[in-house]
Amino acid sequence: MDHLQQFIKRGKLYAYILIVLINFVLIASWWVISQILHLPSPVVLSILFILAIALPLIVVPLVSTIFVQPLTFVWQAILYMAPETTSVPAPELHKVRYARELVTNLVNHVYQLADASKHVAKTVNKEAEGLHNNFIANSLPLPLMVLDKHETILFANTAMLHYLGQSEEDVVNQSVYSHLDLSFETDDTLDTWLKHAKSKHVATSKTWERVRLTIRGDKPTIKLLDLVAYYNKSNPAGYETMLVCFDRTKTYAQDEQAINFVALAVHELRTPLTMLRGYIEALDEELKGKLNDELSGFLQKTQVAAGQLATFVNNILNVARIEDDHMVLKLQKENWQEVLNTAINELRPRAQVRGIDLKLNIADDLPEVGADRVSLYEVISNLIDNAIKYSGQGKEIIVSAKLSKDGLVETTIEDHGVGIPASAIPRVFDKFYRDHHNRSQIGGSGLGLYLCKTIIKAHGGNIWVHSKEGEGSTFGFTLLPYSELADELKNEDNEGIVRNAHGWIKNHSLYRG
Amino acid sequence: MEDASNTQTSKKILCIEDELFIGELYSRALKKAGYDVTVEPDGQKGLELAQTNQFDIILLDLMIPTITGIDVLHQLRDKNKTPELKAKIIITTNLEQREEVKADIEHQADGYIVKANITPRELVDFLNNIQ
Repeated sequence: MDHLQQFIKRGKLYAYILIVLINFVLIASWWVISQILHLPSPVVLSILFILAIALPLIVVPLVSTIFVQPLTFVWQAILYMAPETTSVPAPELHKVRYARELVTNLVNHVYQLADASKHVAKTVNKEAEGLHNNFIANSLPLPLMVLDKHETILFANTAMLHYLGQSEEDVVNQSVYSHLDLSFETDDTLDTWLKHAKSKHVATSKTWERVRLTIRGDKPTIKLLDLVAYYNKSNPAGYETMLVCFDRTKTYAQDEQAINFVALAVHELRTPLTMLRGYIEALDEELKGKLNDELSGFLQKTQVAAGQLATFVNNILNVARIEDDHMVLKLQKENWQEVLNTAINELRPRAQVRGIDLKLNIADDLPEVGADRVSLYEVISNLIDNAIKYSGQGKEIIVSAKLSKDGLVETTIEDHGVGIPASAIPRVFDKFYRDHHNRSQIGGSGLGLYLCKTIIKAHGGNIWVHSKEGEGSTFGFTLLPYSELADELKNEDNEGIVRNAHGWIKNHSLYRG
Repeated sequence: MEDASNTQTSKKILCIEDELFIGELYSRALKKAGYDVTVEPDGQKGLELAQTNQFDIILLDLMIPTITGIDVLHQLRDKNKTPELKAKIIITTNLEQREEVKADIEHQADGYIVKANITPRELVDFLNNIQ
């Protein structure tokens, strides 16, 4: 401060001396012009007037240099220390002519302040280093990561480095987004949550399940994990966000493999089934007319049994799909009369071998329905199989389709068999439910009706049963006309794909199914 | 039922199928219906056959040795690898596919059949509908 007082004092003194000097010069000039040169008064006045303007022009730059030069040096020192500017050189203090002590002093202060802020930054880093030396943070068996407010990784514990298969240098000071390849199940990702947290919260936390982490490198791997994030804005050490990973790769992968196991088992069942059905058909063709009635009956029954096995194998697969939410229906515009006819004709031998007559009664004013042929074939075959199974002494099954009062396409399958006890009716569509009364006499998995209900519901329809013990049962279901189907369910133009019960083929014009 | 096939006597079919019995059954039924059938159990060899000969229909199993049916499908659809493919590709499989694979197959193949769900005669009916 002394230097500043000195500077001000000296400045005032310089200003005082300069003004006195100007005045002296003016008085001296007047004396010389009027007393020695004897010039007339107007000339004297003019010359003095010019001098009064000109003299300050010489003096002012001198005065301002005295005041401004020290400021220039201090300003240069500040710029020199500022982190963003790199081109400004350090001020050369030996060139300071005025107030050298003050300028040296101030510049030193600037340097000290800059050092102090560097020190603060260093302390934060040191705190992070402190985390590295922190026993708990480092020995925590869960992968842990700490981010600063720029979402840069400040710290990753040993478990995290191990989890990522990377060294500390690879990870620390990297942006979390460029470094961790995370994919979330929904749009609610880490960055959207952090943005929200930063604008709305002081401290908050969140858990995500089934996050997929892709680890790049020579051998890219995928990990499935639950991620927990904790955000705290006011953390003085700069640790704004903490991330903890709970590895669930095994558990989640098992879930994903469950369908694969069923798919694999189904594949193994289907392969011999394909051969069985093929060879039975070949035998049937080769032996046609050469067998007596009993033997050709045997052959037909074998054929039917193989067909039923195929239905059952499809049931297993479909139930597994439903359980895993992997069931996808493709609803297309279908002529229900044609679909039902084709299915019933295919299923008729199953009734015939048991001496049951399968009657078909379809109204001809039915609108086109929104249907997935593959799934609906399964519904029809399950309901027909059921009707056959529970027909008892009944020798007739009637399949009808008509337009209901509500404008829905209603299909019913009516048998005259053993019927269902009233107490069992509410539960017949439950998974694995089987009527205790009939269990000892008739086999079944309890999957078929559950599957029917799920498929019909997915079509937007309804399924029900009316039954009286000893008199028979009528199962019914409705389908929506295609025109009433919600737009998002429609799947009409799928590269011109035409589906039938057992597969699909492209291009309408080529297929007469 | 197979009368319609008499009009299609010279159609060439390549059946890439590693199960010998299924190959035999399909071959029998298709020959009976008048098709010219080649059965190939190996994926790579099947691909080469499809690339060097003109077939009308290729029946492609997905679980086959050396390269998978999906790879065969992709290479047949790749214009650089198979510049002139006229054949319709029908996937014949018993393996349930994941949805993304199903979508890929729907995009790349001309047809799809679950083998266990149809008999060889029904396969012939199915193929008779392809012109």
